[in-house]
Amino acid sequence: MTTLDVKDLVKDFRIRDGLRGRRLRAVDRVSFTLTPGRTVALVGESGSGKSTIARIIARLERPTAGQVVMTDEGGGRVPDRDYRDQVQMVFQDPFSSLNPFHTIEHHLIRPLLLHGRARAGADARKKVAELLERVNLPARDIAHRRPHELSGGQRQRVAIARALAPGARVIVADEPVSMLDVSIRLGVLNLLARLQREENLAVLYITHDLATARHFSDDILVLYRGRVVERGPADEVILDPRHPYTRLLAAASPNPEARGRSLDIDAAAVVAAGEAPAYDHRIQS
Amino acid sequence: MTDLGPDSPAPRRAVLPRSSPKLVTGLALIAAIALFGVAGPLFVGEPGAINDIGLAPPGGGHLLGTTQLGQDVLAQIAYATRGSLYIGVLVGVMATVLSALFGIVGSYVGGAVDEAFSLFSNVMLVIPGLPLVIVISAFVPPEQRGAWTIAVVLAVTGWAGAARVLRAQTLTLRNREYVLAARVAGEPAWRIIVVEMLPNLLPLLASQFVFSVIAAILSEAGLSFLGLGASNSSTLGTMLYYAQNGFALQRGAWWWFVPPGLIIALFGCGLALVNFSIDEIIDPKLRTVPRRIRQRRRAPAPVERPAPDTAVSVRNLSVTYGNAVPAVKDVSLEVRRGEILGLAGESGSGKTTLAYAINRLHRPPAQVTAGSVTFHDRDGGDVDVLALPPGELRAFRWSQLSVVFQGAMNSLNPVMTIRAQLEDVLATHRPHLSRSDRRARCARSLELVGVDPARLRSYPHELSGGMRQRVMIAMAMLLDPQVMIMDEPTSALDVVVQRGILREILRLRDELGFAIVLITHDLPLLLEVSDRIAVMLGGEIVECAATEEILAGPRHAYTRRLLESFPSLTGERGAFVRSGEATGGAR
Repeated sequence: MTTLDVKDLVKDFRIRDGLRGRRLRAVDRVSFTLTPGRTVALVGESGSGKSTIARIIARLERPTAGQVVMTDEGGGRVPDRDYRDQVQMVFQDPFSSLNPFHTIEHHLIRPLLLHGRARAGADARKKVAELLERVNLPARDIAHRRPHELSGGQRQRVAIARALAPGARVIVADEPVSMLDVSIRLGVLNLLARLQREENLAVLYITHDLATARHFSDDILVLYRGRVVERGPADEVILDPRHPYTRLLAAASPNPEARGRSLDIDAAAVVAAGEAPAYDHRIQS
Repeated sequence: MTDLGPDSPAPRRAVLPRSSPKLVTGLALIAAIALFGVAGPLFVGEPGAINDIGLAPPGGGHLLGTTQLGQDVLAQIAYATRGSLYIGVLVGVMATVLSALFGIVGSYVGGAVDEAFSLFSNVMLVIPGLPLVIVISAFVPPEQRGAWTIAVVLAVTGWAGAARVLRAQTLTLRNREYVLAARVAGEPAWRIIVVEMLPNLLPLLASQFVFSVIAAILSEAGLSFLGLGASNSSTLGTMLYYAQNGFALQRGAWWWFVPPGLIIALFGCGLALVNFSIDEIIDPKLRTVPRRIRQRRRAPAPVERPAPDTAVSVRNLSVTYGNAVPAVKDVSLEVRRGEILGLAGESGSGKTTLAYAINRLHRPPAQVTAGSVTFHDRDGGDVDVLALPPGELRAFRWSQLSVVFQGAMNSLNPVMTIRAQLEDVLATHRPHLSRSDRRARCARSLELVGVDPARLRSYPHELSGGMRQRVMIAMAMLLDPQVMIMDEPTSALDVVVQRGILREILRLRDELGFAIVLITHDLPLLLEVSDRIAVMLGGEIVECAATEEILAGPRHAYTRRLLESFPSLTGERGAFVRSGEATGGAR
């Protein structure tokens, strides 16, 4: 079974603070495992370190400590040069993740060729068409267009197709729908879920939205200032939150059914909540 | 293509400049002079041929007269133009290549390489160019001072400024997600630079190229005029040099020095005009949109008296961008005193355009083509907002009807303290207030939104995003308006912060009794806090009802779809996800 193990990941950033540098711990000993067919959601506010984890897994950033290990079916470690065949990423902003200068075809052909999934020429174009069909886009219509001619939802589908092109087994989706219009968000998430089922992909879903995290994933990790404060099966974490910070997040989410409730949130409670010890539903319940 | 719904495609990003009078004039000037320089020498005689009629005025056998030695000025200009263009293009190419190398490669690679390249560029930049050129030129013996030598000298002293500009741009491009995506895909670095980044730097490179051509031609003219130019070639500068030596000015031989000077000026002018057009691609904000002085006057809409508690009534309002489809179509809406009216819709639904038009903040090409906006003062008296003369409009905005813009927290002036910015509003609108009154009011308004008044001394960057947003709300409330329009006031903020701000807004509403138009795509939020909700789709209000009614059962299909787009946090999974794509809001 192909798995991706994240072990005790730590990332420090140096911040210039006057003349002296200061260290900011963006990610603090985070561990989890991605397995085929399952989705893990990383939930947190801005600054919680969730995007940094995504960038480390996508090898855009080096961890300060800890490691990310990919294991193939035979149980051996996937060598570094093959890592990018296996792990791909869908970015947050479909308006900036596609190069305005190039056609859609370019965006898909390059990864196909780079990872040896197609031979240049007719074969590659055929594979591009297949990829586009898989994300429900009319290939004939779309392939020769440039990004600005597509809507946000279409672009994000292209970005998903691009992540699939190298034949990846692990997809890191960093807020894949937060920049999209609300009425097409679920469509894109459903598409990701279908592709995951069909290809038995491991998915890391990064979001600040508790509701989609609950419905879209199997496990949820709640992050606060780089630390995992609560983890467990999605429904348990959301419906029965044990950590005060998770409770705070759930209480702060808009809730039409709770019209007229008090909006009061004690600011001090946020800080205090973050300090409470972490809770793991699988161990502690 | 089912996705081409509410989110419309983004505007086309131009690769070529738009045709404009500036561009056409510039190109015509350049083409004419370049043609003259390239083809001219084929039709004129030998420029060095000495004649016995020196300093003959234009006319007769010599269209532009002759020099002191009797050489034909027209022939000389033709060759000189060719020489100047040659040097200009040569320097342009070399300087652009150098600046691209040091600016782009350095900043992409980053780390020590970037530091070294950047330092080198900076050193080159502070070396005064022309004096260095003069020194270098003076060192090279005249017999070796060919056009190439001069071009190399000019290129070496002229690339650094462009390199800095390119470096800045590359630094932002490097972190664009499409560049990151190419890295994740495993593209080699050189391909990322050449294939992914370079095309997006082209407008900037073109602009820098044009600029260095102008600079090169001018510097070369200057050098030659000083007698330090290329020895074996003739350029416009050398012509001026000989004219100077031949006392052309003193002898009134204007035909000898005016034409070369004019060609330099016109060529520089043409290149500068082209450069402006290229700059407009890089920064579309530079495009001047012809501003209409007079709005098309609408027939005053017959306003029947609205209900007594109405604060603003909008009747049959239509707003159009240029001549295209209307962004807001025939919208009628009432804002009641003290209520929170939620305006829900997705991008392109016209909700922001509507909000701007209510306060007449829309800018050309947006234009109100029909309808009326009437403000009903709580002291009695109606104001036809769309007909207010500019002076009264300024007084009306903020003091009666204020706006908190989308992403407002980033619209504070970074170099002014919070106090200065708040007092500015008071100084403009309440000039009679004394200094101490102004201070007291600023402090009180910050307290109202839950920010410590000690923060008045802070600069915007010293505050968190949530705090800046609170400051913007304080600013909007400073003049005690009767209606506040808030366009996505909390969308960029974390939910916990968002909650705190909403609480303050609601508390203030209860205390001060103003009405709020809350614009957002976040329907669950509106359902929780607003009294009534209007749903916009394609410029029209498709449903407007009390929140309870919409909660109980939305009538319009689009409202239902919007509602379904937000899976419930604690409720059933409903139609959502992992069960298959066919159901729910799947498209």
